[in-house]
Amino acid sequence: MLARGRPRGLHLRHVCSSRQQRRLLNHFISKEPEPTEQPPTPYRFTLAVKDNIATTSSSTPSPQPTTCASPFLATYHSPFEATIVTQLRARGARLVGKTNLDEFGMGSHSTHSAAGAVSQPPPPPPNPTHTHTHTHAPDSNHAHNHDMEGMLSAGGSSGGSALAVATGEADLALGTDTGGSVRLPAAYCGVVGYKPSYGMVSRFGVVPYANSLDTVGFLAKGVRAIREVVLGKQGLWGEGDGRDPTCLSAAARRRCARGREGYGTPLGGEVLRGLRFGIPLEYNIEELEPGIRDAWAAAAKMLQDEFGARVVPVSLPTTRHALAAYYVIAPAEASSNLAKYDGIRYGARDTEAASDAAGGVLYAASRGKGFGDEVKRRILLGSYTLSSEAMDNYFIKAQRVRRLVRKDFNRVFALDNPLHERETFDLTDLDESIAMEDKWGPEEVDFLLCPTAPTLAPKLADVMKQTSVDAYMNDVFTVPASLAGLPAISIPMPVASTAGDVVRSGTAGLQLIGQYWDDARLLAVADAVSTALKGASTAK
Amino acid sequence: MSRISTAELGRYLLTGHLSRRGCLHARLPRISPSAPFHRPTSQRRPFGSDAESLETSTAVPRNAAAAPVAPVTPLRKQLKDQAKALKASGRKKKKNADNQTVPGWELTVGIEIHAQLNTARKLFSPAAASFNDKPNAHVALFDVAMPGSQPLFQPETLIPAVRAALALNCAVQPVSRFDRKHYFHWDQPAGYQITQYYHPFARDGRIVLHARDGIAPEEDGGRVEIGIKQVQMEQDTAKTTAQPGDVHWLDFNRVGLPLIEIITLPQIRHPATAAAFVRKVQMLLSAVDACVSGMEAGGLRADVNVSVRRSEDVATGRLGTRTEIKNLSSFKAVEDAIIAERDRQIAVLEAGGVVEGETRGWSLGSTETRRLRGKEGEVDYRYMPDPDLGPVVIGEDLVGHLAASMGVLPDAEIDELVGRYGLSAKDALSLMMLDDGARIQYFYNVLDALEERLGLGNDAASDQRHALLAANWCLHELGKLTELASDLGMTPNGECHVPSADLAAVLSHLHRREITAKVAKDLLWGVFRGDITAGGVTQTIDAASLWFHELSEREYAELADQVVEGEDKVLGEFLRFKQGNAKAYPQGKLMFLVGKMMRVGTEQRMDPASAERVLRARLERVYLPALEAR
Repeated sequence: MLARGRPRGLHLRHVCSSRQQRRLLNHFISKEPEPTEQPPTPYRFTLAVKDNIATTSSSTPSPQPTTCASPFLATYHSPFEATIVTQLRARGARLVGKTNLDEFGMGSHSTHSAAGAVSQPPPPPPNPTHTHTHTHAPDSNHAHNHDMEGMLSAGGSSGGSALAVATGEADLALGTDTGGSVRLPAAYCGVVGYKPSYGMVSRFGVVPYANSLDTVGFLAKGVRAIREVVLGKQGLWGEGDGRDPTCLSAAARRRCARGREGYGTPLGGEVLRGLRFGIPLEYNIEELEPGIRDAWAAAAKMLQDEFGARVVPVSLPTTRHALAAYYVIAPAEASSNLAKYDGIRYGARDTEAASDAAGGVLYAASRGKGFGDEVKRRILLGSYTLSSEAMDNYFIKAQRVRRLVRKDFNRVFALDNPLHERETFDLTDLDESIAMEDKWGPEEVDFLLCPTAPTLAPKLADVMKQTSVDAYMNDVFTVPASLAGLPAISIPMPVASTAGDVVRSGTAGLQLIGQYWDDARLLAVADAVSTALKGASTAK
Repeated sequence: MSRISTAELGRYLLTGHLSRRGCLHARLPRISPSAPFHRPTSQRRPFGSDAESLETSTAVPRNAAAAPVAPVTPLRKQLKDQAKALKASGRKKKKNADNQTVPGWELTVGIEIHAQLNTARKLFSPAAASFNDKPNAHVALFDVAMPGSQPLFQPETLIPAVRAALALNCAVQPVSRFDRKHYFHWDQPAGYQITQYYHPFARDGRIVLHARDGIAPEEDGGRVEIGIKQVQMEQDTAKTTAQPGDVHWLDFNRVGLPLIEIITLPQIRHPATAAAFVRKVQMLLSAVDACVSGMEAGGLRADVNVSVRRSEDVATGRLGTRTEIKNLSSFKAVEDAIIAERDRQIAVLEAGGVVEGETRGWSLGSTETRRLRGKEGEVDYRYMPDPDLGPVVIGEDLVGHLAASMGVLPDAEIDELVGRYGLSAKDALSLMMLDDGARIQYFYNVLDALEERLGLGNDAASDQRHALLAANWCLHELGKLTELASDLGMTPNGECHVPSADLAAVLSHLHRREITAKVAKDLLWGVFRGDITAGGVTQTIDAASLWFHELSEREYAELADQVVEGEDKVLGEFLRFKQGNAKAYPQGKLMFLVGKMMRVGTEQRMDPASAERVLRARLERVYLPALEAR
């Protein structure tokens, strides 16, 4: 059973106690009116839905639009509802509102929105012993006013959903994760963000950004609420959807689950025993904030010491190309998906511009006005990489990289990927620093353990000054799992400052990545690890 | 990117060419019998006075349809008129026929044909495929690209697609994929068309064209083979209807309907052959039921790529710069546009210019192609694999089953019609093309009923003259009944306003020489008009006493004796032949005498063939010996 409406242990409780303060966050684009009927329709949990997921409402006279935070769809009311929303309604969800996002899901800070940027207030001073080391610990009253100065990024693109959960306005929130858009805001906002295996949750009714990567994800304060809807009674994992061709059929689900634990029979607390965790060497990058690196190492040590897990270094050599590949593939698909927004069916048509046909470029003016800058940037990028002269050099190469990324993962995981034939690997491709377990190769692992993002939530003011390429850097740890379609989850990881330096304290995200369709174990392990992390931080 | 409406396409395809290409174009003025059937027999049969032309069929041996023919208009005059008409129409065609090559130059043509598949649903949505239905009545979410909707491939669309591929002798690919082709147009809601660019479902086909298919006769010889590079499935676009005042109405019933695009190798060298290729593709597709009922209803569109090079450059293997002519909607347009474009390119090159790679257009009836856009205006389609759609896997079992159940292909059927029943290739082709394939079905219905009435088995070795008779009547006599073939009310299963059983009844009497051809034609008209109720043919003959009571041999002989009286000069011609002084038998003179017999005698009791036979015998045995003796 899900606990509802009770904010626990997170800083937002302190600063967001009033409605007015919540409005500051700008995390909802539209809200459902409070139910007025007496007695109110019973529900089991509240649900916030990212505004690129179609909703309709039979109960309210004026259903909420589905805007995707784009001027094009400002007044768009979907005639149908996304499968996932219907599924959750059937499981007792009450919709509370549609959350803010980067336009069409393109962004890492939820700032590229027609509804205005999402912002989260800075954390309150941590426990008193650390106050003096916190460089910008704001006066708690100060945080309440309208000053944007101290506000932090909520992460993106599902920033609104992450905040809706963090403030306690929703027990569960839906986001979409294309390259980290659920996990990154979860990490920045101190909540749990889970991206299921690609094809587990229906995308029907989810306005596509990059179809081959888009995954509906879940955000909640704890892992348990997510486990409940995904694996509990009537667990979503078993439900296919004939309206989404990329959603696995019932037969495929059964086949994938055959080699996995945790489907049908719930996993207990002993799940952590004897597990092997891989630490990807390539994730220890220069840009990684020292505090996060320390917390990561501490988490690994805790798993080893307290749970008897094996922690081994692994190599994912293609990681360094993954981000580049992602920023070729995703914009390419985006440029195609967004071609339908041409000012004829959606948005305002620019009738003042000269005749389109004259210059041979159709609809340019309407599209120029209707899209935000980041979307335009990615459409141009995608249009270029798909053009006949650039295709081979960009799109095709990126697809090859994508295949290599998947191969990397298949090599380090002990379980096979049920979607692909078992591959053999050449040991000479391996990084020399990887120790061999035996003559067959290095040790294989159950899960990968790494940070979700290289930094803590940055200041919104800094984000606004960033170039777009700087912003893309935030996705470096989340993109590989997206390219491979693997399940991944970000759980809150306390980052403590070390005395005397300028490290910020707060909550970062610890990411666990599993083999395809190993979601049941991933969630169980994440549940156990986050409990342990919480215990460790309170013990300090 | 404007498109021609299907209704418009339909007009060109149906009325433009089918009937002209067959033998029907050479037909003499249509007979319009004015006599209702219930008129008294004596008034109704002015055999001698109606200058009606008959006997236009191409292949009836004189004795085959042994029924009497009325040669009142002297046969020679008829033949002359026919020849004249042929020549007149031939001269018009000759312009193109003589224009297949330009000395010193070689033409290269490749063709892309789009055809609408015959399916119940759209390619990627379960919305119904419809034609001329209430606008925007069959539209699914995905068809209008609603945000968040996804394509749902309808596997049934593969059935006609694979049939088409097999008819075109293609290798059906075990795995094929769908790609997105991007361009903006209001008739395409998603901003891209889903097609098969990188991995089409069928490749490496070929079509053999014979002389009878209408290829450039001298240049291509009797047979030419055109390679097909690939066949791909793709979506159709919405239908635009222009309204007054720069307003366009869109009908999304058509958006997303499945099409196939057939792409040839650049192996066509002559304009007529290009047109023949398109015609043959249409025939093949309709024969295997791959395309919408009535491709003539708008399911066909061709783009042609044209280039020329000097004959001395042929050896280098390099082709000239090509231009593409888009949206050709009839066979004639294909041929005319290629000739015009070839001549334009040659003129440009001979003037020292350079042919630009560009897209050009063609209007029906014009004499030159016009520039639509140059290379700089080309759209980069940015082809991308569709990330929502998985690969299409076509099993060998499906291909095998469809290949086995496909039935007889047109070439085999034509061979059978020609070889077994003795039809001319031209007639066989017409029979198969008419009424969208229903006419041939009607012919088989008539033939079955006729064989039953005549008590004939379906024995290939036996005399097939009755079948030829049936074919001629199904093609020519039936065609004379109406201005438009559609007025016959032919249904796809081969029935029309003249029930096949009744035509068979008429033909059975004619075949047995129980009635004359003239009577048979009157009966046909009566059935068509509804004056004779279904099944009432024989009763009508009884009631109106139309049976043919032929003169006896003696009566023929007496008539012959009567007409040779005073024709010594004519008889002299026969004598000269007999004595070896003339090369050819004076058939014309013979027919002159037969005609005279018919005029003198009781025509409705006479068969010209009998008259000829008796006359000829008496010439040999009586008149010539008598003349020699003189």
